[in-house]
Amino acid sequence: MEEKVPRSNIIETEIPLGTVHPAALEPYRVRLFVEDEIVQEAEITIGVNHRGIERIMEGLPVEKGNALTEKICGICSNSHVWNSCRTAEIGLDIEIPERARYIRVIMGELERLHSHFLYLAHGCETVAHETFSMRVFYLREIVMELLAMIGGNRVQYGCPIIGGVRPRCDLDEAKLLRLKTDMDKIEEGLTGFADRFLADSILISRITGVGVLPTKQAIRLAVTGPTLRATGVARDLRTTMYEYDDFDFNVVTQPDGDVKSNLLMRVLESFESIKIIRQAIANIPEGKVVNRDWEMFDTDMIESYIEVPRGTLYHSYYLESGRIRHCIIRTPSMANIAAMQYACIGDHITDAQLSIVQCDPCFTCTDRAIEIIRR
Amino acid sequence: MFESTVLYSILAVAVTVVICFLISTLLPGIERKYIHARIQQRIGPPVTSPGIMAPIKFLYKKNIKPSSPVPGLYKILPIVCFLVVLCLLIALTPYAFAIPALASLVAVVGLLKVEEICYVLMGALSKSIMSVRMPFPDRVKGAAHLNTTRSFIEDISARRSLRMITYGSFPMYLALFAPVTQARSIFLQDIVAYQQAHGPFLFTVAGGIAAIVFFIGYMIILNEYPFSIIKAKCDVIEGPYMEYASKYRSIVFITRGFLMFTLGVLFSVLFIGIPPTIFSPTILINIFVVLVFVFMMGIFSAFTPVFTNRQLLPTIIGATLLGILAIVLGLL
Repeated sequence: MEEKVPRSNIIETEIPLGTVHPAALEPYRVRLFVEDEIVQEAEITIGVNHRGIERIMEGLPVEKGNALTEKICGICSNSHVWNSCRTAEIGLDIEIPERARYIRVIMGELERLHSHFLYLAHGCETVAHETFSMRVFYLREIVMELLAMIGGNRVQYGCPIIGGVRPRCDLDEAKLLRLKTDMDKIEEGLTGFADRFLADSILISRITGVGVLPTKQAIRLAVTGPTLRATGVARDLRTTMYEYDDFDFNVVTQPDGDVKSNLLMRVLESFESIKIIRQAIANIPEGKVVNRDWEMFDTDMIESYIEVPRGTLYHSYYLESGRIRHCIIRTPSMANIAAMQYACIGDHITDAQLSIVQCDPCFTCTDRAIEIIRR
Repeated sequence: MFESTVLYSILAVAVTVVICFLISTLLPGIERKYIHARIQQRIGPPVTSPGIMAPIKFLYKKNIKPSSPVPGLYKILPIVCFLVVLCLLIALTPYAFAIPALASLVAVVGLLKVEEICYVLMGALSKSIMSVRMPFPDRVKGAAHLNTTRSFIEDISARRSLRMITYGSFPMYLALFAPVTQARSIFLQDIVAYQQAHGPFLFTVAGGIAAIVFFIGYMIILNEYPFSIIKAKCDVIEGPYMEYASKYRSIVFITRGFLMFTLGVLFSVLFIGIPPTIFSPTILINIFVVLVFVFMMGIFSAFTPVFTNRQLLPTIIGATLLGILAIVLGLL
């Protein structure tokens, strides 16, 4: 695949879209520079939803800071609080009970399933295939109910805490049985969806070769997560995370880096998530779910990277007198924004939002810096 | 005697049009509730909601001044569209056959073209806040290309509408002229009379092919997925209709249902030879044909994504070739 280069010399018109647009789930501005409705260059600007969470966290007790990180994202809320707790646990040298580790993995994979299903539904909605979109949302509903069963809520589950998981999120036999049964339902539904999706020649022709991101370019732009794997690069941080040591799963890749590869990537990765959850249900050890035997002390900078549904999530803290002195959070979309801009190039303007959506953006979570414009 | 005949005709046209209009308000609801929602396994809106309750609701909303260089003209256009569809339906009634200038294919094509030209004007005259006018500081230090020409998304819609006029609606017009090859006349009266004597054109090979082409053209004229490039949600959003609010949006909603009905009736006149009149039970056939078209369109649109030029052009070329084939077969 050849690298995409913006053809700035033949730009005819600029078409700005947003910050409010029905094809975008979040507020952002995209300036499309086009020639006869073909995008030659694109520029995405975010900053509409800056909430200053990093600044608010400074000075908070670390437990409160953890709870606040959950509010960063409505889709990967568990991933944020998980990585936030993980960061503190690494810095304070806290050992996690085995059972808690398994429950965290189950929650992480359930979140991956619902995030991937949301992605698939949003992708189908963006190409105006409402029927497929609705069918994926029905599958997602099963996952959302499972998350509510474990965490008590559909969005903010509050499952991980420093030292393990919240005791109310412990899994008894009935919950494990429901998880097992629902995994079968999801697998069956997803298989049916994938079969129909691949058999739909109109839809496949519509998404093949659209929004291509070449492998070399993806690596150069430091793209992460499924968007990178959809360009053929087998890089998944879960293979290096100690939480996943006991689990057997494949790192799925797709060759083309286009919308079709990205959508299929999520479908295939969802099957791997189901596999991981089944292993966790079968082998979950007995024992306590939280280790409260730890002490607070001052730390240097602590860093933690984990693989979340959309890519690599980074958290870092300095802890001082039990409070967060400094905090940095970087979400996967931070790295993927550049990829979105390149993915649009060369495609029809109707495909521009689709090319952005294929990189699984989460702009609201990514808003970290604010620029004051003096007039 | 002459006066009473004219009065009777006017009354018959008025009653027919009113009944047809009332039925047409249910069509968007039928499409959304009984086709889209059933296919998507959801409850869907009440059947009266999209075509009746929504327009009534909009009638009572406070109007806003549209952001348009010529707001007066922009506001008139939906009314023009409605009147065009009304004229088209009147032209299809048997009472209009006495006015050959109205009840001919040339008039039908002309009226449909006026409808299409309205979309171009609407697109060109709408300047919504969804693109250039959004107060967002995107042209700041460090931004790319600070001196480009900026375009509203409705401008794209206008250009696409123009393209649809030039080649997009071509299959529809070929299908309209296919029955002429057998009736040897462009007047609706002759086309209907020919079919009543020789059987419906639909049940000939040429008629079957032309019917397929007509259906594709029907979806293009109605801007339904997958052909809805002038109001594709993924880029131009509502396109030409973006700035309509209150009663103007209400008229847009009503006109859509009315156009769905009228195009169905147009098919039954040209391909089955049954013009709509409330004083004949054959109007049930007209309504049946309308419902068949609505069902087919609903099913087709529920299972297809929006097309870009890459899919649209081959589809239109294919449909055009089929239309030419239908005409050639009709002539032979």
